[in-house]
Amino acid sequence: MTDSALRIANVSKSFDKPVIRNLDVDIASGQLYALLGPNGAGKTTTLRMVVGLTPMDSGHISIYGIDTRRDPLGAKAITAWLPDEPMLYDKLTPSEYLAFVAGLWKIPPAEAAQEAERLLRWLELWEVRDTRCEGFSRGMKQKVALAGALIHKPRLLILDEPLTGLDAAMARSVKDALRAQVDAGATVIVTTHILEVAERLADRIGIIADGKLHAEGTLAELRAMAGSDDMTLEDAFIRLTSPMPA
Amino acid sequence: MMGWAMRRFPPGSFGWLLFHEIRMGIRQRARNSRTRVIGYILLAAFVVFGVMIGYGLRNTPIPVSSAMVVGALTAVILSLSFMTTQAMLGAQRTLYESGDLDLLLSAPVPTRSVLLAKLCGIAGTIVLSFAALTLPFAIPIALFNHPGMFGVVAVLVSCALLAACVGLGLTLVLARIAGPRAARTVGQITAGLLGGAVFLVSQILNTSDHRESRVAVIFHRLANSGVTQSWWGGLPGRAAFGDPVAILVMLGSAVAIFVVTGILFQRWFVSGVQDAGQHLSRSKASKRGIERHFRPSLFGTVFRKEMQLLVRDPQIAFQVVLRLVYLGPLLFIGLRSSQHIPIGPSLAFISVAIAGQLVGSFTWLAVQAEDTPDLITVAPVEKSAIDRTKLLSAMALAAPIAVILPIAIVTQSVLGALVTILFTALGGGAAGFIELKLGKPTERKRLNRRQHGSIVTRLVTLLVTGILGLITGGIVYFLP
Repeated sequence: MTDSALRIANVSKSFDKPVIRNLDVDIASGQLYALLGPNGAGKTTTLRMVVGLTPMDSGHISIYGIDTRRDPLGAKAITAWLPDEPMLYDKLTPSEYLAFVAGLWKIPPAEAAQEAERLLRWLELWEVRDTRCEGFSRGMKQKVALAGALIHKPRLLILDEPLTGLDAAMARSVKDALRAQVDAGATVIVTTHILEVAERLADRIGIIADGKLHAEGTLAELRAMAGSDDMTLEDAFIRLTSPMPA
Repeated sequence: MMGWAMRRFPPGSFGWLLFHEIRMGIRQRARNSRTRVIGYILLAAFVVFGVMIGYGLRNTPIPVSSAMVVGALTAVILSLSFMTTQAMLGAQRTLYESGDLDLLLSAPVPTRSVLLAKLCGIAGTIVLSFAALTLPFAIPIALFNHPGMFGVVAVLVSCALLAACVGLGLTLVLARIAGPRAARTVGQITAGLLGGAVFLVSQILNTSDHRESRVAVIFHRLANSGVTQSWWGGLPGRAAFGDPVAILVMLGSAVAIFVVTGILFQRWFVSGVQDAGQHLSRSKASKRGIERHFRPSLFGTVFRKEMQLLVRDPQIAFQVVLRLVYLGPLLFIGLRSSQHIPIGPSLAFISVAIAGQLVGSFTWLAVQAEDTPDLITVAPVEKSAIDRTKLLSAMALAAPIAVILPIAIVTQSVLGALVTILFTALGGGAAGFIELKLGKPTERKRLNRRQHGSIVTRLVTLLVTGILGLITGGIVYFLP
């Protein structure tokens, strides 16, 4: 067994120009890790490489010790990906969507149905379980997608801007859901622009800029790196990602 | 150029909105460069051919005979059927897919201006489609000493405006009757029925035992009825050949109907837009358990999901109804003619061709127009396994339609029917396989615009299913 939930080793990726440069990240299991960075820093590209949506040019990625290149299906089986735009079928109902996702992850029907009911009730979607998603608000769609991500009980849950467009109550229930996953032993990685979320929720924070990891640590450690123990994460973030004065 | 034209009108006016619609229509039609080049080559060939005909006829008088007037009326009836289908599909896109109506209707612009500009946009799209087929011939003939042929342009514009009004009116009326949930499906089915209406009517009219094309059936019926002797019956023909009074009456009537449509449907248009944003699914939860949705195998899971998506897609309803409208009469012809004329080989060929088209379209929908390709990619399953299951789903959905013609062939030869079923399945499978290998991902809503997939894929599918169809027809022909 390994204590590392996600290990990104010397990974690079270029499109027209280099986006990720020799990135090294090691995230221990059982924690909520927030990945921060300015727009275009390479956060989403990094996470898409982890879940196999974008091929890396070089380097290695392993999830709970499983190399994503050697055993992609094994790595995918224990991972869930929740992008900022929910991966939903508008013409399916939440129940049907969860049945489809459970089928893709090969969860036995009886077990999947039980878990689906629990998730739908917990996320307050039970009453609309037979309503097609096409009429749902963004927040409801996000919750259906979250249920889909959780139905196969992933050990690593990766979320890209999960709170975008959600109202306060909805954002609160998503944050509670993420914390509950960590408490249950899973590892959660989130990217977010809302620094307050990272400040309150994350066990550790990584700051990525120009395709490299600029800083990483707990909130206190980041403050220390930025040179002041009482500054906000926002101040620390700006100081750590700003170009150094000549 | 459109920007320049828009600046000639006060912002927010009808003219300003009209040129905005034309600009958007042109940009939406933009296809990939290869398709565009092929389109330009075909158009150039049409124009060259038209110029040759025009030059050849430069010194030949074109008298407006009664046959030509009947021909023009036949062409107008046929075109109006297809144009109205196009207009209904355009009206549905305007109501349910174009994202700009919220902006336009929340702006301080008269609703009627928005509605009329949208109507013009729909009519413009229709004119563009039909102009490419008719004007390369009509304009050169008109330029070479037959200016009366410019009347074809007026007839075309009048018909397009009329079709746009009927299409939008029908869509709004159906939306009102069927309600927001069923409006799209009912609209697509009606559009499909209208598209095949002329074919259906011609088959009903054709009571003789010998086979006659639908154009010929309608032409003879119109000629025998003497309808073109009446003033209004001969109007399209006289307008098409340059009678200024007929042109004025046709254009004037179309514009009048256009304005009246704007006035009559203004309120329904707004409520149609409002309804388009409503919940479209039943909101009552079923009393049955949630377990019924879950399947033990990957095949069962994917198959069920694809069937649900295909069955719930209003555009599929259009495709299926259109084919049923064409196949139904063929089935009866096959059954009726079995004793006298052996049409089994033709039916066998059509069966394979139709199955190829259907399975190709369904496979494209299932594979290339997948709503969430990322979900499939991040799932711990091989993509090839998913694709195979999707192909089988497409074939299963097409199967009930694909067996219609083999049923007709049974009356002539049981063995022939079995061969046809086998090759129909083969044709469908081949079309689906080609789509899997060569198809390109596009948006689902492009299915009805015939812009889905690549032109190469469609040509290869056409070639392969054509060859298979010919082989099938040949085998059925030589069977005892």
